[in-house]
Amino acid sequence: MDILKTENLKSYYILEMGETKKEVKAVNNVTINIREDEIYGIAGESGCGKSTFLKTICKLVEPPLRMIGGTIYYQIDGKYVEITETKEEEFRKLRWKYISYIPQGSMNALNPIIRIRESFKDFFTAHQKIENEERDFEEPLRKHLSALGLPVRVLKSYPHQLSGGMRQRTTIALATILKPRIIVADEPTTALDVVAQRAVIQLLKDIQKLQKNTIILVTHDMAVHANITDRIGIMYAGMFVEEARTDDIFENPLHPYTKFLIASLPKMGDKTYKPSVPGVPPSLSNLPPGCPFHPRCPYAMDICKKEIPQLVELNTEHKSACFLNSKERVE
Amino acid sequence: MNRKNDNPEKEIEKEELIKAKKLQKVFVVGGGFARSRLLAVDDVSFQVNKNEIFTLAGESGCGKTTVSKILLGFLEPTQGEVYYRGKNVLELQKWEEKKQFMKEVQSIFQNPFETFNPLRKVDCYLHDTAKNFGMNGKKRDKKAVEEALQSVGLGMEEVQGRYPSEFSGGQLQRISIARALITKPSLLVADEPVSMVDASLRMSIVNLFKELRDEHSVSVLYITHDLATAYYVSDRIGIMFRGNIVEMGDVEEVLMNPKHPYTQMLKESIPEADPKKKWTERVSITELETEEYMRKGCKFAGRCPFVEEKCKDFMPEEFFVDGRMVRCWLYEK
Repeated sequence: MDILKTENLKSYYILEMGETKKEVKAVNNVTINIREDEIYGIAGESGCGKSTFLKTICKLVEPPLRMIGGTIYYQIDGKYVEITETKEEEFRKLRWKYISYIPQGSMNALNPIIRIRESFKDFFTAHQKIENEERDFEEPLRKHLSALGLPVRVLKSYPHQLSGGMRQRTTIALATILKPRIIVADEPTTALDVVAQRAVIQLLKDIQKLQKNTIILVTHDMAVHANITDRIGIMYAGMFVEEARTDDIFENPLHPYTKFLIASLPKMGDKTYKPSVPGVPPSLSNLPPGCPFHPRCPYAMDICKKEIPQLVELNTEHKSACFLNSKERVE
Repeated sequence: MNRKNDNPEKEIEKEELIKAKKLQKVFVVGGGFARSRLLAVDDVSFQVNKNEIFTLAGESGCGKTTVSKILLGFLEPTQGEVYYRGKNVLELQKWEEKKQFMKEVQSIFQNPFETFNPLRKVDCYLHDTAKNFGMNGKKRDKKAVEEALQSVGLGMEEVQGRYPSEFSGGQLQRISIARALITKPSLLVADEPVSMVDASLRMSIVNLFKELRDEHSVSVLYITHDLATAYYVSDRIGIMFRGNIVEMGDVEEVLMNPKHPYTQMLKESIPEADPKKKWTERVSITELETEEYMRKGCKFAGRCPFVEEKCKDFMPEEFFVDGRMVRCWLYEK
């Protein structure tokens, strides 16, 4: 069953400078279903709207970002609830308990002048009543940390006493302590050492196994996707251009952009020439007409310059938004 | 392309371009009673030969950027020397000699968006470089700029009169490479040149280095944390850990058959872009970075699976095994 779905979701950055008005179409008509109990990866280059998509589904829309249209449904206890209309006070009850968001660079989000334990407490009291400190706070906290394999001594430390990898794992522990159904993680492994990166990936995997919830993971690092995700959605210029199981994305990519992306990944033990994607990414404020990839696509046809291809299911669980693929299907 | 070095003696025969000899850099951290010394770079020796891409790879905080800054002359080493074509760079007195060195050794930095002033047009940088390094006369300057742009696959008309915000990261990085090429350098020092560039354009930069080596005989010192591109592009590689080069040699040998326990662990921890090669073993991180820097013996001793008593007290020397350098007591003969 789907845990989160969006329909024709659009959110733009609207910049008004005197007379000139600029629209940056960061999320452009996204219809997507994310299931229960899976790790869903979103890949794409910087500036393709990955982070904006996450902000929109977490209802963290602040000007200049504006939600222009579309709907977002959360599945709460078997019922779909439309959340774009819910009031902020009501939505606050869902935050962290139902959906929690680990933003980019979250390892620097901890308050530097209080101990980690105090941060946990602050956070806990904001979302749950503590009647008996030992029973309601200390015990679940210790249990949570030991389940995630973090040493209890971090609670007594100040953030600057911990390494980057440890801080990142602590914020992930903080974000997951209330056992949210959906965890949204934005580039949780960037700016970390390789070993710390591996530990963070391991931690996310463990949490998912333990709590049986959904993780939506955004990163531009395809190697991280290969290692952890069940399904991947490829974003390009604010749209999802391909979506499939991780194995299928790597073995049998259908969209020309994904094909280039996979072919350009360097591998150890392979020195053959790796071409890069031709051309340059489009500006989101000035998208080309038709398919946003057509100026870079060597297979572009006339129709690509006029119409925007829709994300259609081609094989089982394999969707692609390209006229090349859908045309084959029609004939 | 096969550039194997069968033994260390043979390496010397190759024409060396730049050579770092026993570099050491100490940073003083804090003040008063909290003052402590941090050995950011210790006993680092390596050389970049003519017509080769040499990679310095390591995790963040291993001292690779400090080494590049010392080579470029931005930082003075606490100890050690840098030789360029046999001349000690740190002792260059005459402005002419210094200028010649700057002309031949050019650099490319990590973040192309910070390289350029957002309020200046990018072609200014190109013309300035041409003017500063005396290409004699406006006409010849212009030609030099055009040639440099051509070799990175751009044209003057694409660049002229435009601001940095109008380019993508990949394009800007190409322009900063073009700027470096104007003076016809023999060595490019590239510090993490692709980490801020989109995945789809990353390979175009890396391929460009290969092209420069093969067609324009430019050597590249490629500094990165990404072993996959390092393997793809370089001829030789040095793996750095907490201020030391722990293993150095032919890239094929070092990365496909690592000898130092740290290199083995590093290779093991790098995720591969292949869903069939998922990790199965588990890792744990315990020690803090600064604790490792302060170690007396081998810096890796706290995490090494083969640790012996000796490792904790004595820094291993450079041992030469099978045509490569390994800094580990395991390989003491």
